[in-house]
Amino acid sequence: MRAGLQGLGLRAWGIAYLAATLSAQAPPPGSGSVRLQPDWTAVEPEILRHYQAVLRLDTTNPPGNEHLAVEYLKQVLDAEGIPSQIFALDPNRSNLVARLKGTGRKRPLLIMGHTDDVTVDASKWKFPPFSATRDGGYVYARGAIDDKDNLTAGLMTLVMLKRLKVPLDRDVIFLAESGEEGNSNFGIQFMVAQHFDQIDAEYCFAEGGGVTRIGGEARFATVQATEKIPRGIELVAHGISGHGSIPLKSNAIVHLAAAVARVGDWRPDIRFNETTGSYFRGLAAISPPDVAAHYRDVLSADPKVRAAADDWLVEHEPQHASMLRTSVSPNIFAGGYRSNVIPSEAKATLDVRMLPDEDPARFLEQVTHVVNDPAVDVRFPSQNTRPPGAAARLDSEPFKAIDAANKRMYNVPTLPTMSTFATDMAQLRAKGMQCYGIGPAVDLEDGPKGFGMHSDQERLLESELYRFVRFNYEVVLDLARAR
Amino acid sequence: MTLAAGLRAKGSGLAVALASLALATAFAQTPMPGSGSVRLQPDWTSLEPEIMQQFQTVLRFDTRNPPGNEHLVADYLKGVFDKAGIPAQIFALDANRSNLVARLKGNGKKKPLLIMGHSDVVTVDEAKWKFPPFSATRDGGWVYARGTVDDKDNLAGGLMTMLLLKRFNVPLDRDVIFLSEAGEEGSSNFGMQFMVNQHYPEIEAEYCLAEGGGAIRIGGVAKYTTVETLEKIPRGIELVAHGISGHGSIPLKSNAIVHLAGAVAKVGQWRPEIRFNETTGTYFRGLAQIAAPENAKYYRDVLSTDPKLRAAADEWLFENEPLHSSMLRTSVSPNIFAGGYRSNVIPSEAKATLDVRALPDEDPIRFLEQVKKIVDDPAVDVHFTAQNVRPASAFDARLDSEPYKVLEAAAKRIYNTVTLPTMSTGATDMAPLRARGVQCFGIGAAIDMEDGPKGFGMHSDQERLLETELYRFVRYNYEVVVDLARAK
Repeated sequence: MRAGLQGLGLRAWGIAYLAATLSAQAPPPGSGSVRLQPDWTAVEPEILRHYQAVLRLDTTNPPGNEHLAVEYLKQVLDAEGIPSQIFALDPNRSNLVARLKGTGRKRPLLIMGHTDDVTVDASKWKFPPFSATRDGGYVYARGAIDDKDNLTAGLMTLVMLKRLKVPLDRDVIFLAESGEEGNSNFGIQFMVAQHFDQIDAEYCFAEGGGVTRIGGEARFATVQATEKIPRGIELVAHGISGHGSIPLKSNAIVHLAAAVARVGDWRPDIRFNETTGSYFRGLAAISPPDVAAHYRDVLSADPKVRAAADDWLVEHEPQHASMLRTSVSPNIFAGGYRSNVIPSEAKATLDVRMLPDEDPARFLEQVTHVVNDPAVDVRFPSQNTRPPGAAARLDSEPFKAIDAANKRMYNVPTLPTMSTFATDMAQLRAKGMQCYGIGPAVDLEDGPKGFGMHSDQERLLESELYRFVRFNYEVVLDLARAR
Repeated sequence: MTLAAGLRAKGSGLAVALASLALATAFAQTPMPGSGSVRLQPDWTSLEPEIMQQFQTVLRFDTRNPPGNEHLVADYLKGVFDKAGIPAQIFALDANRSNLVARLKGNGKKKPLLIMGHSDVVTVDEAKWKFPPFSATRDGGWVYARGTVDDKDNLAGGLMTMLLLKRFNVPLDRDVIFLSEAGEEGSSNFGMQFMVNQHYPEIEAEYCLAEGGGAIRIGGVAKYTTVETLEKIPRGIELVAHGISGHGSIPLKSNAIVHLAGAVAKVGQWRPEIRFNETTGTYFRGLAQIAAPENAKYYRDVLSTDPKLRAAADEWLFENEPLHSSMLRTSVSPNIFAGGYRSNVIPSEAKATLDVRALPDEDPIRFLEQVKKIVDDPAVDVHFTAQNVRPASAFDARLDSEPYKVLEAAAKRIYNTVTLPTMSTGATDMAPLRARGVQCFGIGAAIDMEDGPKGFGMHSDQERLLETELYRFVRYNYEVVVDLARAK
């Protein structure tokens, strides 16, 4: 689900501003006597083959059909001799769990990726969305960065650990889960409720972070430590139906349009938590002065200073604007069925992403107040909501391993983030698991240009796919190999 | 589409009672046509079951357009006419969308009279209907169905008129032609356009009667009758917003839905300037004369040259009598808004369709420019839709003509009301006939002024007609035709 950092739109990063200050390179794990590092260049064709193979499976959700990906993964794992098992609430929407056993000295590590994709408007795509076309160093496909990158990396990590016979202190579990894009009842919810023993772990890695490139260079890495809670809100306008030749004051489309325009222009209150406070302070510390000023200002107690910084962020770095508040995006508007008939009803759906401490009932009241039209009902639809869980700790072993790998491989510092979108980590965190969101490097410029996640030209650089697989492998190695 | 919305959908009306004095003195009853030696008048009460049966039968054919399937009605009518011995013929561009023409021959002393009704109906949102929309359920003295007042009332009226003229062997000075036409609701290429282009001799006439008028009841009493002599020209305008697509967890300033919503809200709240023509001027002046003083004030004020008086009256009309508000101007109604396909995806495009009804003298290009100025957002494209545009009528129906006088007399006799000429806010299939020089008059069954705002109007989710008014309209229709066509 990951909207990643592509949406950032950070401006004016001083070239080489960051890199110079970073720590000296540490040796990669496993660079000692036992051969723990594969020949990465030689592995590239294999990585790309698996990546393209899973991207080419149409797992658009709805309907999902994640069994296509599960069957593919099962066959790859079987060939490598890695035990795996399929779990399904619906046979078309299956999940796969693979496990490499360790000595049991430590509790397991779970790495996961979801197999489903959001839907596509195929007519908008330059390359067919399930073609996984390679063009100019990129791979274009739905799922390229959400989330078949993590799926491929998880698969490759298991394959490499097995192939190199790496001795492990803890089990490494790989979960390919279905239904992440709005039907977690088939995926993580089902696995947690029915088969938690299969995935129970001390730590988990999933989508939700990554490395941000600006001007083609990695600048900083993020690790998702907490996340917003998605709640849809529906606006439904009722009016008198009639013939379009006689405009009516009660026109449901007009009432709803005015309500959506008001809600779309509204900016809910700014509120920080520990993760976002650390994030903005950290960002201010590593950013060039002109940009850093905005990150500092938005933390200011002076409402005027804060508002000006907020304006700048909304305009230039919408991802950061969303991290400041419970956000609202009107994404669907449907009303009317014939040009000459005034419909009696029109409905809009707002995508609301609540801060972890938001009071839903209170927020609904605020929206109702902004809409301020008795002809428009404001309500929560019935939808799968994810449970709130505690934020992952920043002083933990996995955070340190990720931080070290980011320095070593990308030469960048690591910032903890609150993702603006929901991930399947919510259910695991609610169970007490320490979960961290990771991902490949993406270009900051891609989001505003329309190449981001869920966009009509979702893409990933091939070189960054390879680097991410290696990052994933090395972090897992660091946490799980026998010492 | 009809007068669509004719006076039927009217706002809450001339709500306040019309001056009863005017009614009492206005019209001495004149004898009905055919009350002389030849028996031209049927026993109306005994015909009621037959009228109801024909009405319900045509209402029960699902001819919603699209797809239309008007052949269901054409085939049915063909059977009825065949049985009655009235020559009838089917004409079709598409076999499922056929038209039917029936003709009773006259002695040729005068040019023919055409009476018509369209056999298609607008679509329905079935979930919203209390009675199924093609059930023609009778309830509390009403018949409920899609098409009851648009336009299967005229279809039933025309059919019965033909059957009765034949049954009584009424001698005619002119042919009476009945046309059941397809595709009136947005696909006239199958109906009127096809008939005018390919089979015009079959329907060529001096005068025509179609949907577009009717008596208006207030508080259950007919207060005045309208005859449509002019109509607005429908033009669709599309608003298309483009923005950056992305994930819904990150609101974007360029959100196409938000931009389009802002544009639609602005356009929906905009009221284009007021402009009168001869028909609407006559209409509002006439209305001011027969309305109770508190309402008459608004009809007079809206004609005023004082912009403040006019604006206040306009405001009142929009709130209380939206039909009248639409008659003042080129109107705009945003009726479709479509954007987005998944709640967590910001779509890159959203589209709205505005139903625009242009005054006959409107300059489309200039109007489009005005809409662009109101929208005032470079992210929103404003353009005309590609749609069947009906030709602007070259000839308004004259108010000093024989049919208008006959219609006036019949309204006095049958409804005890005055007749006002109207400009329909909806387009009708009379437009192409008027463009050919046929004098066309829009008529219809009596409607309760209160029905529109309550959601019982044309195109609404509870379209209905009073049974008694169906019978009265069939009689009105028959007597007008007899008056215009019988041998004298």
